[in-house]
This record gives sequence, C-alpha cells and structure tokens, in this order.
Amino acid sequence: MIKLSEIWKEYELDGDVVFTALKNINLEINDGEFVGIMGASGSGKSTLMHVIGLLDKPSRGNVFLDGRDISKLDDNETSTLRNEYVGFVFQQFNLLNKLTVLENVLLPTVYARKKLGYDSNEKAMSLLTRFGLTDKVNSYPNKISGGQQQRVAIARALVMNPRLVLADEPTGNLDSKTGEEIIKLFGELNKEEKITIAIVTHEPNIAARTKRIIKIKDGEIIK
Amino acid sequence: MNYASFLIRSAIFDFSRSKAKTLLTSLGILIGVLSVVLLIAFGLGLKKYIQNQFESLGTNNLRLVPGKIINSGGGFRASPGSLGGISFDEKDVVSLSRISDLDLVVPVFTRSQNVSSDAKTEFSDIYHTTADVFPALNLNVTDGDLFTKEEVEKRSKVVVIGPKLAEKLFGSAEAAVGRTIKIEKVAFKVSGVLDSKGGGFGGPDLDSFVYLPYKTGYVFNTDKKFVAMIIKAKSDTDLGLVKQEITEVLIKRYKEDQFSVIEQTEILDAISSIFNIMNTVLVAIAAISLVVGGIGIMNIMYVTVTERTREIGIRRAIGARKIDILAHFLVESVILALFGGVMGLILAYLIVLAIQTLFPAYINIQSVLLALGVSSFIGILFGVFPAKKAADLSPIDAIRYE
Repeated sequence: MIKLSEIWKEYELDGDVVFTALKNINLEINDGEFVGIMGASGSGKSTLMHVIGLLDKPSRGNVFLDGRDISKLDDNETSTLRNEYVGFVFQQFNLLNKLTVLENVLLPTVYARKKLGYDSNEKAMSLLTRFGLTDKVNSYPNKISGGQQQRVAIARALVMNPRLVLADEPTGNLDSKTGEEIIKLFGELNKEEKITIAIVTHEPNIAARTKRIIKIKDGEIIK
Repeated sequence: MNYASFLIRSAIFDFSRSKAKTLLTSLGILIGVLSVVLLIAFGLGLKKYIQNQFESLGTNNLRLVPGKIINSGGGFRASPGSLGGISFDEKDVVSLSRISDLDLVVPVFTRSQNVSSDAKTEFSDIYHTTADVFPALNLNVTDGDLFTKEEVEKRSKVVVIGPKLAEKLFGSAEAAVGRTIKIEKVAFKVSGVLDSKGGGFGGPDLDSFVYLPYKTGYVFNTDKKFVAMIIKAKSDTDLGLVKQEITEVLIKRYKEDQFSVIEQTEILDAISSIFNIMNTVLVAIAAISLVVGGIGIMNIMYVTVTERTREIGIRRAIGARKIDILAHFLVESVILALFGGVMGLILAYLIVLAIQTLFPAYINIQSVLLALGVSSFIGILFGVFPAKKAADLSPIDAIRYE
C-alpha cells in the first residue's frame, strides 16, 4: 500500500550544520499489516512516522501510495490525504478539551471533502460503544481517564475509515495495565477489521506484540 | 455538520469561554461604530431640521437682495458691492408687482432694536414689512390678529410678535395680545402672536421676531428704503423664468451686479453643502477609532493564534487544509468585529432615542448597513494577518508546541 523509496530527511540547524534525521529509508507496508517501528529516542522513528503519515515532507526520495507518488503534492492534496487515508494516535492523545468526546471523534469528518458512504454520527457512536465509552459521549476529554482519552483518540483515528492507523508511542502516557489494554485493542482492530496499523515505540515488549518489527537507529533501518 | 455553521459555532463557543476578553476586544469597534453612527445621525437630523425650516417658510419663494452674490461650487460668496450697495424702495415694489407670474412682492427693512414691555427689555430683530409677509412666509397667529393692509396704509402703531418674544415680555402668548410694547420710546399695540416656527440652531431665531407695518416703520426708516424683498411666485411657474423677468424689470434702474435674485433651494443647497463637509470631516475623525479598534482585534488574534498553536496542529493532522485554518480565524475576527459593531449600533440607537426630544437626530438604513459593512471589513482586514500566520504554521511544529 505505502512504499518509501530512498527517503532522506535533513534539518538545517544553526548556520551550516545539517542534522540528518532519516538516511536512505526504503520501506514498504502492505494492507492489513501490523507493524512496530522501534528505536531509541532521537533515532528518527517519529520523523519516519510523520513522513509516512504526510505530516512532514522528505528532503529527498519518494513516497508512493498505491503506486502513486505523493511526496510532491501541494498542501491541499496532502491535507485531504491525511484526512482520508491516515488516522493518527499520539502519545499526548491530542484531543481538544473544549469539544466533547463525540465532537472530538467527529472532527475529521468536518474537514472531509469527499462524501462519506455512511452516517458519521452513527459511525462515531458505534466506535465509542465498542470502546466502552457510551456513557462518556458528552463528557469533555480532561474529565476522563488517560486510557479513555486514548480510546477516544483511536475512535477519532478510525472515524474516516482510514487505510492506515499510525500510533506514536500510544502507551507512553499510560500505566502498564492501561497500555496493555490499548495495545490489545490495536491487535483486535488489525485482526478483526483488517486495519493496517503501525505503532512507533521504544519499548521492546510493545513492539513484540506486532507482527513485524522495523528497527531504526540513527536514522537508518537496521533490521 | 454544515461547514459554515461549524465555523461560526466553534468561534462563538470559543468566545463564550472567555466573555471578558471578547467584550474588551470588541470594545474598540463598539466605540468606533458608536461615534461614527452618532455623528451621522446628528448630521442627518440637523440637515432635516434645516430643510423643514425652509419648507415651513413657504415654497416658490425668491429673495431679492442687494449686491452680486456668486454661487460658486455650492457656497455663496458676496461680491464687494453687496455691502453698502443699493437698497430698494416703493417704486421697485410697484414695478415688480406688475409681473403677472408673481403672487406676492413683500418689501422688508430689518433692524435690531431694544423692545420692551413694562417689566422687561429684549433685543430683537424687527421686520418692517407689508401684510403680505404673513402668507408669503406661511405665518399665522395663535392669539390675536395679524395686521392688515389698511393698518399698513393708516400707519397704525401695531405689531405682530413671535411666541418666544411674547413669552419673554409678557409671560405667555395670550397675555401679550392687546398689550403695549415700546421700540425706542414709541409705543405699539401687540395685535397678534404668531405660531412657532422654531429656529435658533445657528439660524435666525424666527420666534423672537417683531413684524411692523413698514409705513408705520418710516419713523425709524427715514430713508424709506428696503434691504430685501421676499417674492412669492405663482404656483406652477418656472422659478428660473421668473428670476429672468425680475431681472429684466430691475435692470432698467440698477446695474446687473447691484442686485441678486436667489431661490430658497439655492440657500438650502449652500447650507447643506457646508453641513455635509463638516459632517464628513467629523465622521472621518471618528473613523480613526475604528482603525484603532481593528488593531486591537489584530493584537488579540495574534495572541489567540499562539495560544492555540497545538490545536491548529491537531486540526491539521486530522486533515484541515491551510484554508480551513484561515477560515477558522477569519470567522473569529469578523464575528468579534461584527459583535462590536452591532453593540455600537444598539448603543447609538438608544442614545438617539434618549435625546430625540432635544435634538432631531435619526439613524437611517444606510448608516446601519455602513456600520455593519465597515465592521465586517475591519474584521477581515485586521484578521487576515493573524489567520495567515495560523494557516502557515507547519503541522508538525504546531502539534509539538507546548
């Protein structure tokens, strides 16, 4: 589904110093995969996730989505792709505290340019019900627990029926028991709904739960 | 969810979370709109008032005055000859009366003198004129009678006075009728008191005039000359043509630059144009506060963009385009400005309502539209820079912002 070809990402620091975050990355993720991207902090794993999720553009190299080069698209087109093909789950949850749980889940549908083939309200409700959040629909994110917030974030990532869910340290702000539940949820979504999932983590035991581990060190894939 | 209503709803939602900030931010626009709308309302009221005054003095009226008055670019300018120039006499009245298109020819000599009752003395304008002055200027009595043609011919010592003067000298209009007033030791009987014509706002105080039969007035006006004539044309006549006829008659005695025939509307136009200029200048000065209000909104919007950097990043990550973010913040600044504008408008309306009895100010639909239009424009103008800043944030930097 998504293919990275000779991806380089460089940042210009003060003056002429150039920091290379990604070095010649070649990677392919196929439909239905459950991938763990593992590396220490500063290894470039988050940058890699941002490139895959179209939040960031590579300095060099190409990203192909179903064979189409999407690394040179303009902001409108990448925004639309972010909206339609990818769902993000962050370590910090990144919910909007001024919106209710339901409104947070529905937020991506507000920016949708294509007509959804289903009722977005029903979809959001069914996701929240599935994640055991029926009674929290009208609560505000800062009034519910971390585990619940992360499940709301996952529901938000799924409401547009994306091709790929990208999770950046999704358990980093949760205790180990809650983290375990979240990882289990990802596993179920992959197994039952055939949703393609990539989890970025530095914890080997989390990565071990995925079906394929991609190890990254100093901006290079080492395995 | 409809996109436009989503934008407006989320903006209003954000405002309702910080009411004090919202109110203070739109205060600048509120004050700006308030002052602009009030000034326009005062200007309009004043103009309408003057118009009514002129209309109440009768239509189809012309004024014959000495000297050449040049109507240049809406304003009047007296030529040097107009001061100490010619004056008119009874011969002119007779020759002008022969023009068939004229209804009334009313000679006028005016003088300001002390007028006294037993108790009080007032300084007043005295019109030495004929009985035709009353129909020509639409004047009627509330008490007593107007003086008649016969009284003018008999040189009767009677006067008709304005209601304000009657009140000052005798306490009331009814009390004045039949009483005696003295103008420079000559006693006159008050035969009637006129109804109110208003005046005083910069113009002549018509309600304090004294009308005196001109022939009786020859005791003061020993030259038997007149300073002006009020000429009323017959209805349905072309005033331009009538002016020409009058000029043809007078040219036999006077030089062309020694007299002028002015239409009432010309005077009105001249006064209106002066008021328009004054009002425009005042409104322009008041509009500066609108700009200041706009800068206030821009300032707050910049702060808001910084405060909500992370939110912008989240929205971008889930698919909001640059234009969506731009729209978000632009809608907020326009709503802020419009809110201020509407509040200013409401306040202006309440003030106009409160002072209506004292001053004839009024708000027309144009000033309402102007206020709303200018407010929205300011919202867009001063909102676009902060909104652009928000839209141009890199999603990745925004979402990492702490």
